[in-house]
Amino acid sequence: MEQELMDILTDLRPDVDFETETALIDDHILESFDIVSLVAALNDAFDIEIGAKDLVPENFNSAKRLLAMVQRLQDED
Amino acid sequence: METNVLDWLETTAAACPDKPAFLDEDSAVTFADVRREARIIGTAAAKRRAGRKKPIAVMSGRNAHTPAVFLGAVYAGCCYAPMDGTMPVHRLNSILSTLDTDLMIVQRAFYDKAKTLDFSGTILIAEELLEGSEDAALLADCRARARELDPLYIIFTSGSTGTPKGVITAQHSLMCYIEDYAGVMGIAREDVLGNQSPLDYIAAVRDIYLPLRFGATTAIIPKELFMSPERLFEYMNDKGVTAVGWSVSALTVPAALGAFECSVPQHLRKVCFSGSVMPCSCLRQWQLALPEARFVNQYGPTEATASCTYYVVPGLVEDTDVLPIGKPYPHYEVFLLSERNEAVPDGEIGEICVKGPILALGYYNSREKTAESFLQNPLNHAYDERIYKTGDLGHFAPDGNLMFHGRKDRQVKHLGHRVELGEIDLAAAKVPGVEDCCALYDQAHEQIWLFYTGEGVTKRDIAVALRADLPGFMVPRKIEQLEAMPRLDNGKTNMRALAERITAAAKH
Repeated sequence: MEQELMDILTDLRPDVDFETETALIDDHILESFDIVSLVAALNDAFDIEIGAKDLVPENFNSAKRLLAMVQRLQDED
Repeated sequence: METNVLDWLETTAAACPDKPAFLDEDSAVTFADVRREARIIGTAAAKRRAGRKKPIAVMSGRNAHTPAVFLGAVYAGCCYAPMDGTMPVHRLNSILSTLDTDLMIVQRAFYDKAKTLDFSGTILIAEELLEGSEDAALLADCRARARELDPLYIIFTSGSTGTPKGVITAQHSLMCYIEDYAGVMGIAREDVLGNQSPLDYIAAVRDIYLPLRFGATTAIIPKELFMSPERLFEYMNDKGVTAVGWSVSALTVPAALGAFECSVPQHLRKVCFSGSVMPCSCLRQWQLALPEARFVNQYGPTEATASCTYYVVPGLVEDTDVLPIGKPYPHYEVFLLSERNEAVPDGEIGEICVKGPILALGYYNSREKTAESFLQNPLNHAYDERIYKTGDLGHFAPDGNLMFHGRKDRQVKHLGHRVELGEIDLAAAKVPGVEDCCALYDQAHEQIWLFYTGEGVTKRDIAVALRADLPGFMVPRKIEQLEAMPRLDNGKTNMRALAERITAAAKH
């Protein structure tokens, strides 16, 4: 799952080093439209439903946080 | 009759000095504060300007004190050229080179960046200037020499030759637009405007000048909230936002993220959107969430002071509806020209042209580019009459509403920003190893694509290089390497073949 997530992220933004970045939102690295594409791609790939409540910087600031959110949403199903 | 935006500020600061003009997360700047700060900054700038009406570059953040820095330049009798300090150095240098100015005012946070630029003039720090005081006689002298056709600001947009173009707007043009916009939207002193646009960008002129004119308040909304709809609406409700003028993408993003599941911006009653075509499926969601709000579709380029036409959406739209771009504002006249610069028969498609006191003064330090787009009305042989050819295509519906038909060149509107695909081509062609390249726009998914050839150059190489050269929104999100660029018989790039690759990728 981790690899699939990394593939999605690198495909979205090849210029960003997702292994090390920990402030993707706070440093404005991901823009709002990246988030829309990302949410659609994650919902699709992992069969989850990212809702308005999940859309907070804490869930999107790093690949690690994203992975945690995806896992949590899968467990909730 | 008022002829200077400073008349607006002085009147409003006298009428409601203690009311907040600009709010951000941390601070509230009252009208009295705006006046005081702008006059002190204006005094310092005027001392260095000695009466010359040359532009002043301003590098300032997206915060409640920035409008006062802009207005400081105006008090000094000059126009301001806002520069986004987060832009790549290369681009800022290009703007400075076009401006050919010797004075820059920065907020402290941008001082280090400013020092790295190719700029040999004086750099003043706004926060330090504010420790000084105003010189009323000097400011009065500057005001006495100001005229309504003086430039108010120079805003830079993407240029297909790789050099950004500086659109010069006169005091009078801006004042006409603000009156027109307020009339259509019904903006009054009680309104709280929710600012979405960067302050250096054309859409922000409403958020800066409507408060000065009407005593309304503008609340600057932090950028990152636009990806957290719940927090966005919470912030708007907290500030009591009643009116917004947003790019279409600022409305589509929250809708796409399921914004209305939990909350709505409960005070919002006036919504203007512009910058690109609004999908009616998105508009319908907003209408259902805010049944009492007025929704207005606005169309127009920076060269006509941000606008041309507007359309007040008359009722709930269906997903498949196509919104007109509407009818001209009172100070604007809009008509169509054929490729041969002749009148277009009723109902047929032509290039949208605009005239009126809202026309820009042209592109700064670029007489040639100005002459290409601003010209004598070819339909008028009787007297001098300047028009601007927008490069957009449209037709008039039988009810008199203008309908939009896209561009006649390679300019696109991406997330509310104007982007010349040719500028991306030029930047990508400079990346070592790239042999050929072509940028395209995928309207359906709002993504810029770049196709390229060249051995040993990775997608990442290109993305990283472009990020250093172009604003973030211009960096293609989809980059694809090709063995060979598809060609037409005449040797030109076959863009249709490339567009088909994009369509095929979407079906995957």
